Amino acid sequence: MRAVIAEDLTLLREGLTRLLRENDCEVLAAVGDGEALVRAVVEHEPDIAIVDIRLPPDFRDEGLRAALRARERVPGTAILIVSQYVEHAYASELLADRGGGVGYLLKDRIMHVTEFVEAARRVAAGGTALDPEVVSQLFSRRREDGPLERLTPREREVLALMAEGRSNAGIAEVLVLSVGAVEKHVQSILGKLDLAQSSSDHRRVLAVLTYLQQ
Amino acid sequence: MLSTTESSPEVLATEGRRPAGGLWGLGQGFTVHAWSSTLAAVAIVLIWAASGAGDFWPVWVILPLLLALAIHGWLRVLNLHPSIWRRPHVTFALAVEAGVWVSLLLFNTGIWGAGGGGSFWPVWPAIGLGVAIAIHASVIFFTEPSTQELSERIDVLTSTRAGAVDAEEDKLRRIERDLHDGAQARLVALGMSLGMAEQKLADAEPTAAQELLAEARVGAEQALRELRDLARGIHPPVLADRGLEAAVRSLADLSPLRVDVSVELDRRPPAAVESAAYFVSAESLANAAKHAQAQRVEIRIGRRGDKLRVEIADDGRGGANPAGSGLRGLRRRVEALDGTLLIDSPPGGPTLLRAELPCAQ
Repeated sequence: MRAVIAEDLTLLREGLTRLLRENDCEVLAAVGDGEALVRAVVEHEPDIAIVDIRLPPDFRDEGLRAALRARERVPGTAILIVSQYVEHAYASELLADRGGGVGYLLKDRIMHVTEFVEAARRVAAGGTALDPEVVSQLFSRRREDGPLERLTPREREVLALMAEGRSNAGIAEVLVLSVGAVEKHVQSILGKLDLAQSSSDHRRVLAVLTYLQQ
Repeated sequence: MLSTTESSPEVLATEGRRPAGGLWGLGQGFTVHAWSSTLAAVAIVLIWAASGAGDFWPVWVILPLLLALAIHGWLRVLNLHPSIWRRPHVTFALAVEAGVWVSLLLFNTGIWGAGGGGSFWPVWPAIGLGVAIAIHASVIFFTEPSTQELSERIDVLTSTRAGAVDAEEDKLRRIERDLHDGAQARLVALGMSLGMAEQKLADAEPTAAQELLAEARVGAEQALRELRDLARGIHPPVLADRGLEAAVRSLADLSPLRVDVSVELDRRPPAAVESAAYFVSAESLANAAKHAQAQRVEIRIGRRGDKLRVEIADDGRGGANPAGSGLRGLRRRVEALDGTLLIDSPPGGPTLLRAELPCAQ
């Protein structure tokens, strides 16, 4: 995996660079602001841009906007946004741009190194990685609606993991189930929520998220 | 004359703050004026004396010179002492008019005297000008706020300002305490876990070290979560980034209650107003869930004239205590912006909270 990093705090930028290099990722550039990110992406054409949402000069969502600008210049670049806080509104904006893999994770998740690197690889390969916190925000939005209430507790767990962007195999690993059992749960969920079957994990995530965001 | 009365009192007053010096402390310009008038008068009197000193005609030159000097002097006095006209029911223009009235009365009296007396006709122009001044004064009296209104306003401003300062103090103290008991304590514990892990590694006990490291990571996550909640309580990032509507919708999403949000704003209000509106919504939502046992909440935000109105209605059991720390803090916050907070919460419910915040175009 070839990555470009944008993070304005030197301490975190260097920490992240080291962490990725130790996990066999090639870090092509590590920059400190949005403009530099766009230039680095254009120059190196990485598989993935790992970007802090809050960058200079306005320290708001410059990172998100710069990443989307960079992807306009180099289509297909995967974007992984990391942030000290998550808001599902940002996730919706990120997911609305369907030009490649997307991820949106709390910086806390970086501490779970193996999982974090796995999520980055998934995003780099065109998949999705959505923070569990965003997913739970989306779930709480739908608390009063019928179809979600009809899911069993296990099915709700599986749906949350689907929304995070995990594959059936990934879900099986987290819940300590067989892949076959997960597949059965997924069929049942899609049936209850009236969602179309989809061969690709990414399309499945989008269907689930679109459903949750309604 | 007119051009002088129309010039801005503010500018004149600012000018007046400079030390003036000169004759009677009225400044250089007035001194030159006074001396040149005196010289002119002396010259005319000398001419009169040299030409045989008959009927004292120089009085017809000296009287207008005195009139001009008197008006000039009065304007300088007003410039130098704005306290004369900067008081309730007096304006700069009114003070100028009064000075001109007195000067003209004296001028006319002089002409009457020099003309040989007789019927005291200067009374008629004096009455005419006096009526004009009386009309002007009554217009000011009925259109400007009374002294009592102004002093009530000062009382309100003094108390709301003190309230704002207190609220700020309380908030800083709470943040300090949260940091001290929360994140700081967690970081100390985390450092201790790391130190022990280091020892275990040195003692070649990798399993124990691994356990301690995992513990340290959990501690770091908890510290991060607490800091995030704290930051959200100070100023939620989504409010700055996406504005009031997105921030209030985010609040609604996180609330365990069913919350309907309607926001109608053509443009973003000033940051302080947005922030107050946000915290009014946040506190009300928290109260509705915690104390009122409400099921549904409706939040309406919109503009009413030059005010931003925030209304939060719930279907709970009411009985909110406006003197409680939460609502008191909200009131301070709203009043600090010169807004008003209405709390209608009869026992048994429902509760309606309405904040109106000045929000100039």
